[in-house]
Amino acid sequence: MIPTLLRMELAKLWRLTSVRFGLALLLVFPWLWAYAPGIFEVYGFFLVSGFQVPALSLLSSMQFLLPLLVAITAAELLGTEMAHGTLPTILLRPVTRPNWLAAKLIVVALYPFLMLLLFLLASLAAGVPFGFGAFFGGTGLGEAGLLGQGMLTSGQALAEIARGYALAALALVPIGMLSLLFTVVFMNAAGGALATLATLIFMQLLVVFPSLEPFLLTTQLNAYATPASEVLWVMALIALYGALFSALAVVLFERKDF
Amino acid sequence: MSTPAIATDALTKTYGTRSVVRDFTFRVNPGEVYALVGPNGAGKTTVIRLVAGLAFPTSGQVRILGKDPHQHPAVRRELGAVVEAPAAFYPYLTGRANLRLHADLAGGVEPGRIDEVLRLMELDDAADRKVGVYSLGMRQRLGVAAAVLTRPQVLILDEPASGMDPLSLHLVHSVLRQAAEDGTAVLLSTHHLDEVVAYCTRVAILEEGALIDEVNLFDRRERFRARVTDLAAGVRALEAQPEAVTHATIRGTELVFIPRSADDLGRVSTILAEAGVGVLEMNRDVFDLRAYYRERVSAERARRTGQLTATQDGRATGTRHGGAA
Repeated sequence: MIPTLLRMELAKLWRLTSVRFGLALLLVFPWLWAYAPGIFEVYGFFLVSGFQVPALSLLSSMQFLLPLLVAITAAELLGTEMAHGTLPTILLRPVTRPNWLAAKLIVVALYPFLMLLLFLLASLAAGVPFGFGAFFGGTGLGEAGLLGQGMLTSGQALAEIARGYALAALALVPIGMLSLLFTVVFMNAAGGALATLATLIFMQLLVVFPSLEPFLLTTQLNAYATPASEVLWVMALIALYGALFSALAVVLFERKDF
Repeated sequence: MSTPAIATDALTKTYGTRSVVRDFTFRVNPGEVYALVGPNGAGKTTVIRLVAGLAFPTSGQVRILGKDPHQHPAVRRELGAVVEAPAAFYPYLTGRANLRLHADLAGGVEPGRIDEVLRLMELDDAADRKVGVYSLGMRQRLGVAAAVLTRPQVLILDEPASGMDPLSLHLVHSVLRQAAEDGTAVLLSTHHLDEVVAYCTRVAILEEGALIDEVNLFDRRERFRARVTDLAAGVRALEAQPEAVTHATIRGTELVFIPRSADDLGRVSTILAEAGVGVLEMNRDVFDLRAYYRERVSAERARRTGQLTATQDGRATGTRHGGAA
């Protein structure tokens, strides 16, 4: 049953307005940033390689735009079922509620990876005029930042970018789960997305408690720049958030009246 | 005794301090069409959702084919339902694609079944159009098509007549009637008392979440009344022939009886004549559900109002008319 449900949910994902709008935005975004006239004034560097464009895209979108897109899409994936009235209709079939929600959770977990893959490709495409040869400096997604530690080959640069984007996608997964959880609670897409954003903003304010900061969900949004020695810890924390939000969503959904 | 297709025991649903359904017990047997009627807010839709397993009872039990639908989701393979009015489908998919999706979720249907139900509901021409452009009536017909798609043993429909023109309504009624004749148990909620009288077997009248009356329409539909020369002798004669008459009683100045079949109706005159009872006039006893419904709901409201007034006055705690029927 799960493969059928997953196929259904993936087909629905593609039809969501937020997905189409978000993906279109992410296709355009790297071009705007890579060639923006004020980039030196804002970020204090010049691009010397096409491999630096993906980092620039991620740096400028990871704190707000990407979490927003993931939160809205996750909320819409469940919220449209309520708006169309299809949720009760589907639940009348011999589908268990946990299975049905699990299919949605899996798709919500996959979405940041699909989204960032497209974002990466668009960023690389925008970087073509800067070239993809070996260069002095860093990609911005490795431990040495944009300055780097000497000459970086194309292969090393690509590996750094792939790692950074994979970690960034992973960090967005719990945000999707949180949004789905809030949508289950409020039973509408707008409520789910707004509650998620409010939670993220609140968490960002909690940096005034230094002992809490390493554990905050919002801190994990910088996972793409995590040193290799801390990657496992960060991944475990992200997995814990994801598992907690998913489990809560399933438990609440299981007892909801429709 | 066979397992009822749908059974509830003291079904109760409470939201906060407000009871939406109170101690509702009923049974629907295979082949029966059971209707829930009542004013707006009487709890019909909540009962439908509780029985369909979409909502959880605060107390009491629901059984579909003897099983709790929450604990045994597989029992939903034998359940077809329309719980939204109009029926809800993915608007960006065609009617056919929506039915295919339902078939997949139900574990599949035999080849050609989707085309068959589309034809049955006269939607074959619109099958490949997106549901978003369907009229209300077309969506409702597609809802019935989805409900009967898997040839379920239990059909549950909330307001199946909603948004339908008379022809569509007739079509849906004939499909539901046929399903019942094939042994499917049908539970529906409606405001259309004419459709209830036309083909339902029993009707439950709900008011404020409680069952105030259950009427066996099968008996009512098949009832006859006769003016005869000797009422007592007539009743005795008919009661002595249980193979021809299931029920005989005196109502006012008339003899009321229920023949076992249309053929037995002819025998009634003979039985009465042989008992020396002359038949002056004989007619079908038309049951006016609309009037009966109005009378029962008004009486229940008066009873509750009386109870409320008495309680507010603080002089009495009893009811004006006693308990519900």
